Amino acid sequence: MRPPPWPKALGLFRGSSLAPLTLILVFAVLHIADFALHAVLRNEPDVARRPAALFTGAAKKSLVLATNPAARAAGVEPGMTAPQAVARCPALVIRTAQPAAEIEARAALLAVGFTFSPSIEATAPGICTIDLKGSGAACPERSRRAVAELARLGLPATAGLARTPLLALYAARATASVLLVADEENFLHPLPLAAADPPAELAAVFAAWGLRTLGDLTALPRDEIVRRFGAAGLALWQRAAGGDTRPLHPVVPPQTFAAAMEFEDGIATLEPLLFILRRCLDRLTLELLASQLVAAELELTLRLADDTAHARSFRLPEPTADPEILFRALHTHLESLQTAASISAVQLRLVPTRPLVRQQGLFETGLRDPHGFAETLARLSALVGSDRIGTPQPEDTHRPDAVKLRPPAAVIPPPAPPPMHPSLGPPLRRFRPPLPARLEFSGGEPAYLWTENFHGALATRRGPWPSDGDWWQRDRAWARTEWDIALADDGGLYRLLLVDDAYFIEGEYD
Amino acid sequence: MATAPEILAGLRRQLAERFPTAPRAAARTLRTGLAAIDDAAGGLPLGAITEVVCATPSCGGHLLLGQLLGVTRATRTRVALVDATDSFDPCSFPVDLLAHLVWVRCPTATLSAKVSAMAGALSATDLLARDANLGLVVLDVRHAVERELRRTPASFWYRLQRAVEPADLALVVITPRTAVPSAQLRFILNASHSVDALGTGRPALTATLAPALQRQRVAPAAVA
Repeated sequence: MRPPPWPKALGLFRGSSLAPLTLILVFAVLHIADFALHAVLRNEPDVARRPAALFTGAAKKSLVLATNPAARAAGVEPGMTAPQAVARCPALVIRTAQPAAEIEARAALLAVGFTFSPSIEATAPGICTIDLKGSGAACPERSRRAVAELARLGLPATAGLARTPLLALYAARATASVLLVADEENFLHPLPLAAADPPAELAAVFAAWGLRTLGDLTALPRDEIVRRFGAAGLALWQRAAGGDTRPLHPVVPPQTFAAAMEFEDGIATLEPLLFILRRCLDRLTLELLASQLVAAELELTLRLADDTAHARSFRLPEPTADPEILFRALHTHLESLQTAASISAVQLRLVPTRPLVRQQGLFETGLRDPHGFAETLARLSALVGSDRIGTPQPEDTHRPDAVKLRPPAAVIPPPAPPPMHPSLGPPLRRFRPPLPARLEFSGGEPAYLWTENFHGALATRRGPWPSDGDWWQRDRAWARTEWDIALADDGGLYRLLLVDDAYFIEGEYD
Repeated sequence: MATAPEILAGLRRQLAERFPTAPRAAARTLRTGLAAIDDAAGGLPLGAITEVVCATPSCGGHLLLGQLLGVTRATRTRVALVDATDSFDPCSFPVDLLAHLVWVRCPTATLSAKVSAMAGALSATDLLARDANLGLVVLDVRHAVERELRRTPASFWYRLQRAVEPADLALVVITPRTAVPSAQLRFILNASHSVDALGTGRPALTATLAPALQRQRVAPAAVA
C-alpha cells in the first residue's frame, strides 16, 4: 500500500547550494517507490508512459499491488480487482511481478549505491542504505547524480540524507528528488503516524486518542508509552523520533559481472533486445567502475524458444568499462544475426580485468583507435564472413595455396631483415577456383589454350614441374604438374596446371 | 564572351565565397619507392583515391602491390587489401611482408556469389576507408566481372572520395580499365612482363615498373 500523502517538510534544506552542512550526515537512502512495478516497466520503454499496474497474479480475481502515475491519474488504486481497474482505465497495461526483473533492478540500485560508498545495505526491495562516513561534503550533489543515474537506468528514485538510516528513509519517501534533513524535529513533527509503520492494534488506539503525526506521538512521555504498550510501544516511539544510528548489513561488492533476463513472450526483433542489453551493460559497467575494474571480454548467450542457444564471446581489443563501446560490439554482431526461433532469455557476462595503465611508446605503432578497429573488423566479418578476414599466414606445408588467416596484431612487429634470397618473378594472381582449360596440340606439342575468360596461342612454355605431398594421408594426398606459359596474343604469363588429366589455369603472373 | 575555364573559375570563386571551408593542410603523400610514381606525383596522395589501371595481362599490378606492402611494412603502417575476386596469393610474398596486412577475401564460389562479392567489396572498402588505424587501403577489382564494374554508380566512387578525404590514408583501386571517376591520381600499367621476368629477382623486376601517369588532380606536396 502506498503511504498517505505527507505534509511538506518544514525547516529543511533542499540541495547543497542551500545547505550549510553544519550537521554530520552519516547515512543516505536511495528509495524506489513501487519497486516491483518499476522493475518490470523499465524493460518496456513503450509501456512506461502508459497507465500500468502490477497485479498479484494473472487470474481475474487478482488485485492491484502498485500503479504508475498515469494509472493513478486514471483512478486505479491498489487493492482493486482487475475488472474494477480496467473499468476505470480501459487502456491499463496489466503486469505481474517478474523475479528476474526485480533481481536485475536490485543489482542496478546497488550498483549505483556502490558509486557512493563501499559500505551499502540492501535494506528492503527498492531501498538501499548507504554509510556516508568519509564521503565528504558533496553528498547532496552526488545524491542528485545517483538519482539521475537511476532514472537513466529506468528506475525513478528519490534520495534522503540524514543522521540515521531511518531518518534518511523518511526523507527519501517524503521528497520527489533529494532531501537533506538538517532540522530533525521540524522535519519529523508533521509526518503522519503511518510513516513509522505502527502495528495495527497500536495504530487503532492512537487514532482513537487523536494522534495523527509523529510529533503528536513523541510529545507523549516515552516512559508512559512503554508502561502502557510495552516493547512494541517503545519501538514505535523510537521510530517516531527518527531512530538511532546502527551498523549496516553491508552488501558484498559483486565478484562476477553478469546479467540475465527472461522474456515471457520471446523477442523476435533487434530493437527490444538491444534495449535490454543496453540496460544490462549500463548496470554492469557501473559495477565494474565501482570495483575499479574494466572488461576484457564479453560473453553473450541467447536462449531461443526452440531450446537451442546462441553463444558468442567478444574479446575486446583494449579493456574498457565504457558502456558505449561494449554496446557497439554487441550491436554490430546482433545486426547481422538471424536465429531460427525467438529469443526467450539473454545472459551477458563481462570478464573483468585490471585497467592497463602505461605510457604509449614514442615509436610504438599500435592501434590509434582499438575499439574502432575491432568494430570495423566485426562489420567486415558480418559482410564477408568471419573466416575471410585477417592477416594471412602461410601454413607449414608444400600444399599449394595453404594459407590461414589470423586476427590482425594489435601492434605491428618491427620488420625482419630482407631475405637472403629474394623471390623470383612476379607474384601470382590466383584464380580461385582454378580456371578449367583446354589445350589444342600440334605435332604433339600444346599450341593453343582455351579458357572461359581468355584464349590464345602459346608463345612459350616452361616446365613441367611435378610435385606431390601428403601421400601418406589418403584423403589429403595431392599431386600436380605445373608449367609456366606465355600467350602470344595478349602477352600474359600464366601458370598451367595438370591435375588428374585435367588442365587448369591456376593464376596469372602479375 | 567568357571561355569555359573562366566560367568554371568564376563558379568556384562564388562557391568558395558562399560556402567557406576550413583551410586544409597541405596534401601529404605516401612514398612508394617507385621512381615513376614518386617523381611524377610525389607518391600516393593521402585522403584521396589513386586508380591503378592494369590494361594488359601480367602488367605488374601485384608487383606494385608487393612494393606498397614493402614500403608500408618498413614504416609499420597498417594496410588493408579488399580482394574483390579473392585473387591475392600470400605464398607469393615473404611472410614478414604480410605482418601488417588485413586481407579481406570476398567470396567467389559461384558466378552469382561473384556478382554479389563486388558489392561486398565496395561496402568493405567504404568501411575501411573510415577507419583511423589504416594507412593504406587497396581495393583490387582487376578480375571483377565487367558488368558489375560497369554497374557501380559513379556516385559510389565520389562518396568513397568524400569518406577518404578527412582520413589519413591512401586509397588505391586496381582496375582493369578506367573506372573510378573520382580518382585524384591515375596510373596505367600497360606493358606485360616478358617470359624472362619469371627468372628475374623481384627487386630488379619491381624497379622496371613504369606506370604511366594519366590523371593528376592533386598537386604534389609534403611527404608522409
